Amino acid sequence: MSDDETTLCDENHFRDFYLKQVQSASNFAYYKCGDGEAALDLVQDAFAKIWENCSKIDFNKAKTYLFTSITNLFLNTIKHQKVVLQYAKDAPNLDTNNQSPEYLLEEEEFKQKLTRTIASLSETQREVFLLNRIDGKKYREIADLLGISQKTVEKRMSAALQILKAQIENI
Amino acid sequence: MKKEKEILKWLNNDLSSKEMEDLKQSEDLQTLEKIAHYASQLETPKVDAQTALETLKARNHSKKKPKERTINFKTFYRVAAVLVLVLSSGYFFFYSNNTSFETQIAQRKTFTLPDNSEVVLNAASKISFNEKKWANKRTLTLKGEAYFKVKKGQTFSVKTTDGIVTVLGTQFNVKERKNYFEVHCYEGLVSVTHNNKTTKLPPGKTFRVINGKVENVEDFYATNPSWIQQESSFNKIPLDQVIAELERQYDLKIKVDGIDTSKLFTGSFTHADKEIALQAVTIRLKLSYKIEGKNIIFYNYGAQ
Repeated sequence: MSDDETTLCDENHFRDFYLKQVQSASNFAYYKCGDGEAALDLVQDAFAKIWENCSKIDFNKAKTYLFTSITNLFLNTIKHQKVVLQYAKDAPNLDTNNQSPEYLLEEEEFKQKLTRTIASLSETQREVFLLNRIDGKKYREIADLLGISQKTVEKRMSAALQILKAQIENI
Repeated sequence: MKKEKEILKWLNNDLSSKEMEDLKQSEDLQTLEKIAHYASQLETPKVDAQTALETLKARNHSKKKPKERTINFKTFYRVAAVLVLVLSSGYFFFYSNNTSFETQIAQRKTFTLPDNSEVVLNAASKISFNEKKWANKRTLTLKGEAYFKVKKGQTFSVKTTDGIVTVLGTQFNVKERKNYFEVHCYEGLVSVTHNNKTTKLPPGKTFRVINGKVENVEDFYATNPSWIQQESSFNKIPLDQVIAELERQYDLKIKVDGIDTSKLFTGSFTHADKEIALQAVTIRLKLSYKIEGKNIIFYNYGAQ
């Protein structure tokens, strides 16, 4: 989609890039810090940085630059907080046909356990897991965004799954 | 967790329905399915992208121009100055090899040049030459007065601000002072170039320029300059030049009071006795002098 002429210094290009990426960037920041406002601040700072340095950034690497900037800014400024996520209000259960009160209660309990366990994951595991689950990104994509290898993404994903499974089944 | 590879593929949507069935058969996926399902139901704070963009724009941000490096000229000049100093001093030290001899007021010195030519420097004078190049080029620069006894050989040149004196091998005296340029030839043949005009001087001849005017001078019969014998001789020389010479031979400051210093003086004064020297000049011109500290004042005889 990008020819060599595409540069982020062009306001239109920047706007397109911004509108396209801001939500997923914000999600990513949120997985890290667990605070919506702080996440948006991080994202805005990262975009500002991209705008300032637009001449130095290869358009094709801009996404990676964005995510890396968020990571760095996060490490620089934000204190770790417990990341407790909320479920969408009308989120369907796995078995939409089963409407028995027991089942619904069971599932509600499971969901609580899940959020608590996700919060206990390490930051790198959590971001990979949630980028895959919530943002529906493929491992390859995540690897590109984080500037790491796909193998590393898979390792983190696998570790996250094992922890989640073990913890949930234990409780 | 067995079948890790397949599970990862599954969550990456890379599993075909057939493979999915196989996986379900071989492993208890119940928990994982729930995890996978409910995790994707999680919500993140929604960003109003347009508003956020406006907020970002409202920030006072500016594009960083490709870095402009401003040269700090202060530092630059410092470095440059040091470099120039080091290089030029190195150059003079290693390459130019200028040798110079100098005399102060009331001083006289005799030097031997690299080719054994002899130079006698009169008071307050200086010669300098390149010792390394001397074998090829016998050239020196003179400020003041000097008597040369040159060994036979290549051209020997004396550069002064008023002209160039060139000889092959001879004895001559060059006097270059303020508004005064004089060359005496005692032996051989001396050629003097002044204002691009060359004059050849045989022995006993004098080339003299005072205040930019070439003057005719009578022949002389001395075999060397009188100042070599501790005496300064003058033949129709304006008084200011004589006074300048007195000041050079004795550490004096001479002022005049109501005297025309272009008055010509013929005669000599000794370098050995200040009183006698002052009298030798003043009496002949019908002048008197008085001493006020380091200053001597010349005035017309009988005027005070």
